[in-house]
Amino acid sequence: MPELPKKKVGIVACSGEELAEGTVTRLAALKVLEQLRPGDTVTICLPLFLAGGEGDRAFARFYPTVAIDGCDKRCAARATEMYSAKPAASVVVTEIVAEAGLEKPVGLRRLNDAGQRAVDITSARVAGQVDSLLDRHWNRRTGAFTDESSTPAEAQTPVGATCSCGSGIPVQTVDVRGRGVTLVGLPLIFQQLHEAGRRPEESVTRDLLETVKIYNPIPSDAEADYARALLRDYAAYCAGQEVRP
Amino acid sequence: MKDDRKVVIVPCSGIGKAYGTVSREAAYAVTLDLRPAESQLVALSLLVLGDDAARAAVSENLAITIDGCKLACATKMVKESGGTVAQEVAVLDVYRRYKQFKPQGIAELNEGGQQLAYAMAEEIAATVDALREGEERAADA
Repeated sequence: MPELPKKKVGIVACSGEELAEGTVTRLAALKVLEQLRPGDTVTICLPLFLAGGEGDRAFARFYPTVAIDGCDKRCAARATEMYSAKPAASVVVTEIVAEAGLEKPVGLRRLNDAGQRAVDITSARVAGQVDSLLDRHWNRRTGAFTDESSTPAEAQTPVGATCSCGSGIPVQTVDVRGRGVTLVGLPLIFQQLHEAGRRPEESVTRDLLETVKIYNPIPSDAEADYARALLRDYAAYCAGQEVRP
Repeated sequence: MKDDRKVVIVPCSGIGKAYGTVSREAAYAVTLDLRPAESQLVALSLLVLGDDAARAAVSENLAITIDGCKLACATKMVKESGGTVAQEVAVLDVYRRYKQFKPQGIAELNEGGQQLAYAMAEEIAATVDALREGEERAADA
């Protein structure tokens, strides 16, 4: 199997500009993206679900997504579900503040102490959700993930947050028993298999299907149909690559 | 422009680049510091969700949008929400005129980013004044 596109978790913050809790969501998201789980997370600006293209709208289908909302209007969670896919998890800052017994966050531009504390608690909770979504379990006694294939957060190098703005997730529509099905990430998966020297033969079908299933829901009773369609389109992809100068 | 009508300021929600933070800071500088009585901040996330009050604010008032990248989410969303964009401000365009203010940092803008945001806010404040004067003249005519 070729090196797969690494499974990551998408973070979508409401960033609500008119509430201090919106500032909390933005800073909590950035803390997860830059410090707590930089190797495991990506983000996208919420408006791109409407203002962007099909690839942007595929974001929450490609990545299991955590929505971070400032208030009970839950713009991030609801808009993500409306325009992309239901978030895998979500948090609401006002609820976290109440649970933690914090004072109300104040300061749109410069958060007060309660707001800073809310950022810390919110980001820690989101980081835990990221681990859960990646099937990672943190052992507090050993200070390490129990899954040895994972990279502990402490071992991850802090990075600047990068967004998916404009890049989008590549999608491709395949014909599965006469029905067009749009699969996110398929062009990238084809490219990686081809670069790995995998020929469009029966032996590649299982790897192809398993890779596609990482990012797309495929009904178990339709797997054979999908496998045939994927192999056919992969053959066409390979043929297209071979005729290119 | 009647006194109860304000110019709506809509910054983008850019979270992956410093330009998004500049857009946010400039919007705060206009609506909180420079023209608090004449302008109103509208959160982009509310427009994305289709919030009635946010849609009413942009459809009943002139809007100035501030975008941090070429995708122009703020401008597109205001138009999508039935609003009139009186002025589109692109952070990159303004930065080209203030090359000495190089913005860095997303969670916390550097000094250059703060200066760029404020320079941009002063230009936007002047636009707010011009828009209000224009509407007043139109109302008097």
